[in-house]
Amino acid sequence: MYQYDAVDQEFVADRSREFREQVARRLSGELSEDQFKTLRLMNGLYLQLHAYMLRIAIPYGSLNARQMRRLAHIGRVYDRGYGHFTTRQNLQFHWIKLRDAPDILDQLAEVDMHAIQTSGNCIRNVTSDPYAGATAEELDDPRVWSEAIRQWSSLHPEFSFLPRKFKIAITASAKDRTAAKVHDIGLMIRRGRDGQLGFEVIVGGGLGRTPYVGPTITEFLPANRLFSYLEAILRVYNRHGRRDNIYKARIKILVAALGAEEFARQVAEEWAKIGPEGDLPDTELARIRGAFATTVFEALPARSEAFESAKAAHPALARFARNNLRPHKKPGYTIIEVSLKTIGDTPGDATSDQMDVIADLAERYGQDDIRVTHEQNLVLPHVRLDDVPEVFAQLQAAGLASANVNLISDIIACPGLDYCALANARAIPVAQQIAQTFADPDRAEAIGELKIKISGCINACGHHHVGHIGILGVDKKGEEFYQLTLGGSGAEDAAVGKMLGPALPYDKVASAIDTLVEVYLRERQEGERFLDTYRRTGVEPFKEAVYADAH
Amino acid sequence: MKALTANRLIDGDVVFWKSGRWVEGFGEAELFDDPAAAEAAEGHAKSQPTVVIDPYLIELMESDGLWAPLSYRERIRALGPTNHPTHGKQAQGGEVIEALLHADGAARSSGRVNLIKRK
Repeated sequence: MYQYDAVDQEFVADRSREFREQVARRLSGELSEDQFKTLRLMNGLYLQLHAYMLRIAIPYGSLNARQMRRLAHIGRVYDRGYGHFTTRQNLQFHWIKLRDAPDILDQLAEVDMHAIQTSGNCIRNVTSDPYAGATAEELDDPRVWSEAIRQWSSLHPEFSFLPRKFKIAITASAKDRTAAKVHDIGLMIRRGRDGQLGFEVIVGGGLGRTPYVGPTITEFLPANRLFSYLEAILRVYNRHGRRDNIYKARIKILVAALGAEEFARQVAEEWAKIGPEGDLPDTELARIRGAFATTVFEALPARSEAFESAKAAHPALARFARNNLRPHKKPGYTIIEVSLKTIGDTPGDATSDQMDVIADLAERYGQDDIRVTHEQNLVLPHVRLDDVPEVFAQLQAAGLASANVNLISDIIACPGLDYCALANARAIPVAQQIAQTFADPDRAEAIGELKIKISGCINACGHHHVGHIGILGVDKKGEEFYQLTLGGSGAEDAAVGKMLGPALPYDKVASAIDTLVEVYLRERQEGERFLDTYRRTGVEPFKEAVYADAH
Repeated sequence: MKALTANRLIDGDVVFWKSGRWVEGFGEAELFDDPAAAEAAEGHAKSQPTVVIDPYLIELMESDGLWAPLSYRERIRALGPTNHPTHGKQAQGGEVIEALLHADGAARSSGRVNLIKRK
């Protein structure tokens, strides 16, 4: 992975020192809360219901064992022994004290981490493919581009006070694991007819109050022109974005108002003015690329007899292999996805002890490489098939071996009203109830891929719009109700879900999901996922069943 | 009946007003049946920007013969997250905590409404 150089380290340490001074000035009264709020948010520090919340950046969801151990340590010492992995591949601690925050930032800086670009109206932490560098599907390593964008955008003076926050996702595989089409900018690496590398550029996607699947404004942008083009997009946005209305300030509103064609024309005009001088020198890109080329793989047979015989002897391992393992680009290796969706637990939460286990496994069996997925799971991207039985055993001992990735209990949920000051309703207990309803692993596997995503308010941190089944918590005169949407997708077939009908009370949600699943099982044809069946049948059979039950 | 609440600046903890000082447990909170006294306390609290953030009054309701916040959001603030019953103030247990857990009132939280207005 990318290694900080002395400049990077000094920059992060400086930032930490600066924040310590800012906290002291706030506590002394020299800074008002309004003045301080902007500064603390620039360091990922929010005030939530019960305490401060610190959102720590995990650039493109990639970290090493040392960093994971430090997160575990911070969780143990300054929080309550756990952390929450988010839909933007970051980590949040929910019980932070302001007086401890400077010490925590110092501890993060020691391991090349920080909380910059996790809040505020800047270019946020870049989302990328958690299988980067491991999957054979990719055309290039998206981490190289993600890291280059990180360096380009950190404290970029022109883009530190945008009309609103700005999120970029990069994927290099046909299978999109980044939700690129619902980001402010989605970059999909493509190969041109002449073999040249480039990007399909999607602008103006987003969730929240006004969800959009972003339109493509450029089918093929030569890769070496990326940075001048990004600059042109951001300049058009900076100039015309709606600073007067927070609900209309995201770039998606501008793109929709102008139309994709006119927006693209303005970007092209700006791009011509910037010219190739705005692009990253090849030497710099090569330097960054070199940092990701250090992983060394052994020459192994494609089939591991040890793994095959262990699977034959242990059905639990076989189930884990079916659901949580993905093909690796190198023979004899696999990608392991570690589910943070143990039935009954909080989606995305890991205890400090579990973080330490993951760090140990990464160090011993996984090339010191760990990833966070936007679906709130973890990934060990490079594990030898021979080692899978041992890794599985250790995951099992740590309560991390749920074999449910992409299944119905692999639910995204935001912290919701249990923690978040903005939430209308709880998300976590709804996810827990649904997971309990589908706790039978045979039934879950029979249902197949089904993505449920839950948000506790319209800001959509739980990505409910793009859930195959989306659940949105709403406040009806102070009571928790939940609107269901069907047919959304955050993948390469991105779509915004359609509302099923009137919102349901808290205690009816899990049974409504059960009903939806029964309709799917009744209606589905050979090989169809829930989403496919819904797309073929439309909403009616689902709606009839749920509201027949409700009345 | 009302109580006055805020988050404490130094640690973000939920606190309640009690006769000129801040306490951590809702059970110790001063209860106001006189609106003028409640507003006077709120004014006083707002003059303590290095002690608390965003003080506001909350409506209360009767539960198990005791008082509890009317809004669910405020009950969660006074108790802790429902997914971790051992986290937050609910871990202490006792009759006030029980009354909060049994309360079933519903109303929009003035805290959230204020937050949205300011946004």
